[in-house]
Amino acid sequence: MTLSVHWRLDPAAEPRRSEPGAWQRLPALARDRRVSTQNRFDYFLQVAQAAAQTAFDGLFVRHRIEADESRIIAAIIARAVPHIHVVPEFPASVGSAVYAAKQATTFQRAAHDRLGWAIAPDAEPAGREAQADFVSDGDLAQRLDEFLTVARGVHRERPFSFKGSYFEVENGGFDAPLNRASFPRVYLQGSGDAALALSGRHADMHLFAPASTEALAKDIARLNALADGRSVAAGLIQPLLVRDERQTAERDARDRPLAPGTLVASYDEAAEILAGFAAIGITELVLEATPTLEEAYRIGQHLLPRLRALTSAARQAA
Amino acid sequence: MSIDFYWRLPTHGCHNSIQTSGYERGDWSPLRPGNIAPGRDRDGEVDGFTYIDHLAAIAQAAEAVGFQGGLIPSFPNTDDPWVISSLLARETKSFRFMIAFQPGFGNPVHTARMAASLQRATGGRLLFNIITGGGGPAQLWWGDSFAHDDRYGRTSEFLDIFKGVWNASDFSYDGAFYQLRSGGLAPALRGEEFPEIWFSGSSDAALQTAARHADYYLSWLEPFDQLGEKFARVKERTAALGGEQKCAVRVDLVARATEEEAWADIEKGFSNVSEEARQRWGGQGSDSVGAARQAALRPADARRYDDLIVAPNLWGGFSLLRGGPALGIVGSYEQCAARLDDLIARGTDAFILAGTPHLEEAYRVGEEVLPLLGRQASALPVAAE
Ligand SMILES: Cc1cc2nc3c(=O)[nH]c(=O)nc-3n(C[C@H](O)[C@H](O)[C@H](O)COP(=O)(O)O)c2cc1C
Repeated sequence: MTLSVHWRLDPAAEPRRSEPGAWQRLPALARDRRVSTQNRFDYFLQVAQAAAQTAFDGLFVRHRIEADESRIIAAIIARAVPHIHVVPEFPASVGSAVYAAKQATTFQRAAHDRLGWAIAPDAEPAGREAQADFVSDGDLAQRLDEFLTVARGVHRERPFSFKGSYFEVENGGFDAPLNRASFPRVYLQGSGDAALALSGRHADMHLFAPASTEALAKDIARLNALADGRSVAAGLIQPLLVRDERQTAERDARDRPLAPGTLVASYDEAAEILAGFAAIGITELVLEATPTLEEAYRIGQHLLPRLRALTSAARQAA
Repeated sequence: MSIDFYWRLPTHGCHNSIQTSGYERGDWSPLRPGNIAPGRDRDGEVDGFTYIDHLAAIAQAAEAVGFQGGLIPSFPNTDDPWVISSLLARETKSFRFMIAFQPGFGNPVHTARMAASLQRATGGRLLFNIITGGGGPAQLWWGDSFAHDDRYGRTSEFLDIFKGVWNASDFSYDGAFYQLRSGGLAPALRGEEFPEIWFSGSSDAALQTAARHADYYLSWLEPFDQLGEKFARVKERTAALGGEQKCAVRVDLVARATEEEAWADIEKGFSNVSEEARQRWGGQGSDSVGAARQAALRPADARRYDDLIVAPNLWGGFSLLRGGPALGIVGSYEQCAARLDDLIARGTDAFILAGTPHLEEAYRVGEEVLPLLGRQASALPVAAE
């Protein structure tokens, strides 16, 4: 199995970059000729270009209510950057499942089927109420289940009818040519049996949080058991702080807040560890580090070639 | 007074000509050599272009001749206007994206964040045609089982919240359809211009909601005096509430160098419509009052194209030749400009124009008709009573 490696853009990271309202004034002696048409999306595109040029397979776009919306960013990227897959993250509270599925068809038609959907975890109750979303904690899984049932349903068959607690549709389903686009690859996350079972029903890929190889191997087995015959691939979201030497990485790690589970290592060590994940059945990695642009280059140039050398050697040996 | 002119992006494919009914542009008809976007190379192989490339060309043509932007319709078998606008955001310079949107389909706060993001991406080139759905099977197809007047109630509350969170950090709302506690757009997204709201719908519920929320009340073309009365009513109603309502018309043109050429194209197009298609005409299940006002214009059994001429330069058979409303304007460049002037005299403050094929006609209407506008406005009789 080949390993796909994606980069993850956090639209809220490096918030001042290409943000016209936050431009750092140049000293008076330097003539500043930046223009008002420059905007934040220039930076998002640069990150996407960096990921494409350093041979990542795809770009995830995080769901961040404090920043620009992920599906808008994703469409702008897909139009401007060829080849890479684009995977916006969004929660099931965005609105109608039929509408979301319909929007996906336009994206797929225009971008040659490069769209994925990563369903973001729901916010905590106060955050949801601020978003006009009053579904209770206990009902969120049901809503997500219905969201994906309806979105896949109208894409797959016509006529499609469904009546649930959150979504309903009567004699729905897409007609030609919209029904020729493929459904976006669905990525779900979350821990515990309920989340794994939901992935078993709906996901193409379950994304795990950082963990040891042993723990991940157990989780993958559990995922397969709960998938009940349906094949669901396993992926891993992995924050990184990697440098040429481990000592440098550890030194830099002391200077900054790190995401939980960040892998602090040399390029060689990180490649070994990630190849180890591939060996136990992880088939997609979603890597992240900040600053997003520079680290995309660093990891694309130094870590990916090492990692791919190891995984292709392992493939040949098998 | 200045008038805003918009064009239209055809989101369901486009025809080579007003005379033919096949969708030779886009993939809504079977692909064959000669079909563009998705194009076929000379061996008939797919060449990588898709319909969005054709839409890009239309948007660029429209902005090149001075249209402010274009209406982007949304129906079950069209491409989606939000996605189209995002895809074309960086390929256009001044083109404003008028997204047709049914508020019921999106969470209002999330939709506000999407809108603010698009404003940021385009330098403020987003606006909305707020639609509330035609009911019937199509509404259930979309997954929406709300009844007609409830849909307008929901639209109204949606727009309250959309406006409420736009530049706020602590907005709360307790409506019949939506509740919200202490919400608002994040600081990075605030400060963008609030998108203009155009509003369509002809029922009483629609007019009430428009009076509260709309910058422009948008209508299909109707016989001129009837439309003038409708606009006067809309403006009065909003004035009574202390507001000001502008009115806009969405209308197709067949504009040619001479009137004879224009009617010859219509005659040819009409003769290419099968008897069967004519029988099927207009029989869709819907609770739309606006659609009923259009259908009422239809002479029961037209045998010849000129049975459908309802007034000078006004033809009621457009929906036979392409999807959309029945009534449109046919004539020489001068006549088309004069009819638009007539509409301005009857209270029209803005236009969404269209013609088939949308790419070439954007240039034609922009270059030949728009420059003739305003010449006769002063000579016109004021709106009929
Ligand atoms: C100019 C214009 C454009 C419209 N565009 C759309 C559209 O893109 N999608 C849609 O579903 N309805 C569209 N409609 C339909 C109306 O928004 C509305 O749903 C319909 O007229 C029913 O409302 P009513 O009963 O109040 O007339 C349009 C209407 C007008 C007048």
